Amino acid sequence: MGKTIVEKILAKAAEKPEVSPGEYVKVGKTVRFVLMGTDSTPKVGPAFQRLGWDKLWDPTKVMVAPDHCGAYTRVGSITTNREAHRLNSEWARSMGVPEENIMELGRVGNCHHLAVEKGWALPGSVYLSGPDGHTITVGGVGCFGSCLSASANFFMRFGWTWFRVPESIKFNITGKLKDGIMGRDVYEYILGLIGPTGAIYQVMEFTGPVMEDMSIDGRLSMCCLAMFTGAKLGIVNPDQKVIDWFKARTNVPFEPLVSDPDAKYAKVYEIDGSKIEPQVVVPPHRQTGVKNIKDVEGTPVTNAFIGSCASGRDEDLMMAARILKGRKVHSKVMFNVTPGSSDSMARSDKAGYISTLLDAGCLICAPGCGMCPGFYTPLAKNEVCITSSTTNIPGRMGDPSAQVYLGSPATVAASAIEGKITDPRKYL
Amino acid sequence: MALKFKGKVWVFGDNLDVDYEILSFRELDAGIIAPDKMGEWAMRVVDPDFAKKVKKGDIMVVGTNMGCGHDHYLSNVAIKQSGIDCVIAESFDRNFFRNSIAVGLPIIEYPGINKLAKQGDELSLDLKVGTIKNLTTGKSGKFKPFPDFLLEIVDAGGLEKFGNKLIAEGREQ
Ligand code: SF4
Repeated sequence: MGKTIVEKILAKAAEKPEVSPGEYVKVGKTVRFVLMGTDSTPKVGPAFQRLGWDKLWDPTKVMVAPDHCGAYTRVGSITTNREAHRLNSEWARSMGVPEENIMELGRVGNCHHLAVEKGWALPGSVYLSGPDGHTITVGGVGCFGSCLSASANFFMRFGWTWFRVPESIKFNITGKLKDGIMGRDVYEYILGLIGPTGAIYQVMEFTGPVMEDMSIDGRLSMCCLAMFTGAKLGIVNPDQKVIDWFKARTNVPFEPLVSDPDAKYAKVYEIDGSKIEPQVVVPPHRQTGVKNIKDVEGTPVTNAFIGSCASGRDEDLMMAARILKGRKVHSKVMFNVTPGSSDSMARSDKAGYISTLLDAGCLICAPGCGMCPGFYTPLAKNEVCITSSTTNIPGRMGDPSAQVYLGSPATVAASAIEGKITDPRKYL
Repeated sequence: MALKFKGKVWVFGDNLDVDYEILSFRELDAGIIAPDKMGEWAMRVVDPDFAKKVKKGDIMVVGTNMGCGHDHYLSNVAIKQSGIDCVIAESFDRNFFRNSIAVGLPIIEYPGINKLAKQGDELSLDLKVGTIKNLTTGKSGKFKPFPDFLLEIVDAGGLEKFGNKLIAEGREQ
């Protein structure tokens, strides 16, 4: 019988001929990169010291980067993010991590963007990071991502961890998306369909003509959000686009894997992509509901934000620039655009998106998580924000009384022009 | 830590979020919750007196999607500190599951546990064999036990202790 992409990746990583859902596997040797992030793991060094652990299993595989920090944030009791990163880097150097594996603050951005930009999250492989559940973003390039969290130190010392092989749900998305509809809308549409517990501990495998058409950026955005349906991860079968992307970024050999046509799924959803309208998730939080834009159009907003691991990629900035070209952000709106990575910012600058956005009156921040966790320009009391970042639980982006609506970067840009939630298609 | 448990059941509901119901991230982030006092804050949002009532060795029974939200493992530590020795869930969040094993809080997925065990029942559990017995009602059930390498992590009391065991026994490869 056929196997899904995730079953194949885990079998290969566990060096087994095949694995099935429910099975537990040990994964180690085949992992090429593990990220040690600053923000979530500044206590790695002290923990090793306390435990008397004096080496890493393979220092050449450990990458050190500021993870989901902003350039300005504090990390617990440590004064600045830069200091936390320096302490981490110094410890990593003392453990033999090569200099080229250590990324300095200001040259990177959000760690989930980084994994794909730098070619660490290889298609067909397992990619691990110490911090943060949104590591699953890399599913967009056919990579099995997982954060290690409480298993991070053990992995760095002993070089293995374990997984329970998940079942997969297939979302076959047919037809063609209308102009102005983005990966973000597709995911929120599915969330509306199956609900916040619709895929608990399962893989959401997104396939079909819509996914084939979709940019890598759109796929990453969808997989980043997969956790909000309870899923273990989201994944897209890698194609030539993805292969070319990684060939241009790494010399490390990789073998893309894809699902067999007769693979077994817990459930299959058929979705007509051409029917999907812009989607907006309304406050106070995701469970409250996903709506078609026409149900919330006209809601006044005071803030807009494009960025986070769910957006802030080239395509998102391009879409915002397309909508804002020759137009102005509404006088009562502060529109923060935070590119996800330095690389993406540089490309968007060359392409002219950044200057278009500046001309329109956007605030461009240093690459990172931006407003998503309230690091940059946090929301004040009773402000109303439309954003393409990850989530809208109260207090997430600043004051708990602030209201956060979630939509695609296109919807965010159009709403910023009008100062109220606006269907982006009128500006295309 | 052993692989057999016996204790009184505390039942909680579905979709318990690591940063809200299980352990308030707000208080944690603000430094109000001391690292060794997390047990006193466990489940406080749902049951303010839980920490006072729960006894060492008790068992937590929960619904679906246990530990949803972020990968914040201090919630797992808080449950463990409260005295709970083992969690049985209808289903759980991936990160919560992995973090539980990592910090030495055994966790079992058992669809149907809410029918098998009610608040206050006495439950016994054998992780190695894969059996649950409700000593109050006499009902019992079976589950697929963890593979040996995972049982060894649980038995050692989590990954840190397990790691030290590997080093002590020269098995670190
Ligand atoms: S952008 Fe937001 S969700 Fe993503 S890693 Fe940063 S803080 Fe977390």
